[in-house]
Amino acid sequence: MALLELKNVTKYYAGPTPALAGVSFTVKEGEFVSVIGPSGAGKSTLLRCINRMIEVTGGEILFGDLAVSKLKRRDLRKLRTGIGMIFQHYNLVDRLTVIENVLHGRLGYKSTLAGVLGLYSREEKMQAFNIIKILGLGEQVYQRCDQLSGGQKQRVGIARALVQNPKMILCDEPIASLDPNASKIIMDYLKKIANGMGITLICNLHQVNVALAYSDRIIGINKGKVVYDGPPGKLTADLTSEIYGTESGELIVDWGERYAS
Amino acid sequence: MIKFEEPIDIWGQISPEHGYTVHGAAGALPFKPLNRQALAMRIFLLVISLLTIYALLTIDYRSVDVAKAAADTLNNLKIIFLQPDTHRLSLRDAFYEVVITMGLAFLTTLFGGVIAFFLGLLGARNLAPKQVTNIVKGFVAFIRAVPTILWVLIFAVAAGLGSAAAVIGMTFHSVSYLTKAYAESFEELDRSVIEALSASGANWWQIVFQAVIPSAATSILSWTFLRYEINFANAVAMGAAAGAAGIGFDLFMAGGYYFDLREVGLITYIILAFAMALEAVATGLKGRIRQNPR
Repeated sequence: MALLELKNVTKYYAGPTPALAGVSFTVKEGEFVSVIGPSGAGKSTLLRCINRMIEVTGGEILFGDLAVSKLKRRDLRKLRTGIGMIFQHYNLVDRLTVIENVLHGRLGYKSTLAGVLGLYSREEKMQAFNIIKILGLGEQVYQRCDQLSGGQKQRVGIARALVQNPKMILCDEPIASLDPNASKIIMDYLKKIANGMGITLICNLHQVNVALAYSDRIIGINKGKVVYDGPPGKLTADLTSEIYGTESGELIVDWGERYAS
Repeated sequence: MIKFEEPIDIWGQISPEHGYTVHGAAGALPFKPLNRQALAMRIFLLVISLLTIYALLTIDYRSVDVAKAAADTLNNLKIIFLQPDTHRLSLRDAFYEVVITMGLAFLTTLFGGVIAFFLGLLGARNLAPKQVTNIVKGFVAFIRAVPTILWVLIFAVAAGLGSAAAVIGMTFHSVSYLTKAYAESFEELDRSVIEALSASGANWWQIVFQAVIPSAATSILSWTFLRYEINFANAVAMGAAAGAAGIGFDLFMAGGYYFDLREVGLITYIILAFAMALEAVATGLKGRIRQNPR
C-alpha cells in the first residue's frame, strides 16, 4: 500500500533553475528508501517538501489520503505529528536533558497551553522512557544533551522522532557528522525501525555504500531530477557515476562492501 | 584513483630563494598600511592635541588660586569620606530611604522586564519575520539613544515631576535595553532546533516556552539583574534630579541645600554598601545557575 506519493513535484527558489524538477515516486509502508545525489541536488529540499517545511511550487504530494499542499494550519500540524524528522546536526535543545528533548516530540499532540506548561501525561513519559531505554540511553536520561557524544545525540534525535508515533521518519543526512562506528549504530537502529516497527524511512545519504547496505530502495537525484529509482542490487558503478555526474570510476565507493554485508 | 597533476615538490618553490621578494624600500617595512582610515585617525588625534594645548594656554583663571582650590577640594573630600556623620537623617531613616530607592529600581525593572519579554520575542530573528524584528529593533534603538533622565523629564510634562514620571521614564528605558538583550539571548538558540520542533508539529508558543526560554534563561536572568543594578544607580539620580523620593533626594538635599558634607559622605557609604550587596547577590545567583541548570 502506498503511504506517500509524489506527483510531478517542482520547487523553484529565487532564480530560474529549479531545485526540484518534476519529481515523482511512491513509497510503500515500512519501506527504507535512501535518497542519494551530489550536494545541492535537491535532497534536503525534497525531504522538507514532504512535511511542508518548504512550500512546493508545483505538483502534488499525497500522504495517506491527505493532499499535503492543501492542508490548513491545524491539519498541517496533525500531518507533521505523524512524520518524524532527524537531522545531521541533531537539532536538540542542548541545555535540556535527554528526557525533556525526547518529550518535545509529543508537543504536536498537545493543546498550546499544555505544551507551554510542559504537562505530559504519565503514559507519554512511560513511552519516552521506554524508547530511550530501547535506544541504549537508559543511563543518560537525566543528562544534559550538551554532555553527550554525537552518536548519543543522534539517538536522542531518533527517540524524539519515535515518541511521535510516526508513520514515517524523514532523515536528513543522519550520519554525516558521525564517525564510522557511531554511523553503524545509528544505521542499524534505523534499519530496525523500518523493518521491525513498520515505519517508513526516507533517508538522505552521502555515503553510497551505506545506502547500498541498508536500504530497500534507492532514489538517485541530480539537479532536481530523479535519475535512478530502484533496488540497491541494480545500482551499478556506471549508474552511480551518472547520479553524481562524474566520470566512471572516479568515485570513492567501496563496491566490495555490498557483497560483504 | 586520485591523481595529482603537479608534483608536490613545486610547493617548495614558494620560498625566498625562488623570487619570493619583499616589495618596498629596504629598512622601512610598515606592518600596517597607511589607508584612509589610519590617516583620518592620525589627523583627528593631531587636531585634538592641538586644541587641548591651545585651551590650556588661553584658559582664564580669573582670581582662582589653583593651589588653594586643589587643597580645599582635597579637604572637602577628606570631610566627605573620612568624617561621615549624620545630623538631620537618622540611620533608620537613611535605611528606609534606600529601600524606597531599591523599590523604585525593582518596580521599573519588573515592568521593563515583562514588556521587554514580549517585545524581545518579536525582536528575535529566529522567532519573528524579518520586517517585524527590524521595526522592533529600530524602535528600541531610538528609545535607547535618548538618556533615561531625558525620558523622565519628558514624562514629567504629563505626570508632573516626581516618582510617577521617574517610574514611567525609567521603565521606558529599561524596556528598550532589555528588549535588545532578551532578543539576543533568544537568538542564541539555533534556527535549526526551532525547525526540528515545528517539523514535529509543535506550535510557536510551545517552541518559545519549551525550547527558547530554557536555552536563554541564564542570560535573561543575568541581563535582568544587570539592568536592576543600572536602575538602582538611576533611581538614586532620579531622586535628586526628578524629585522622586529615596536616598537620592536626601543626597541632593544634604549636598545642594544644607551643604552638609559629612552627611553626603554617610549617604554615599550607604549607597555603596547596598550596591555591593546587590553585586554579591547577583554574582552568587549567576554562579548557582551555571552550576545547576534551571
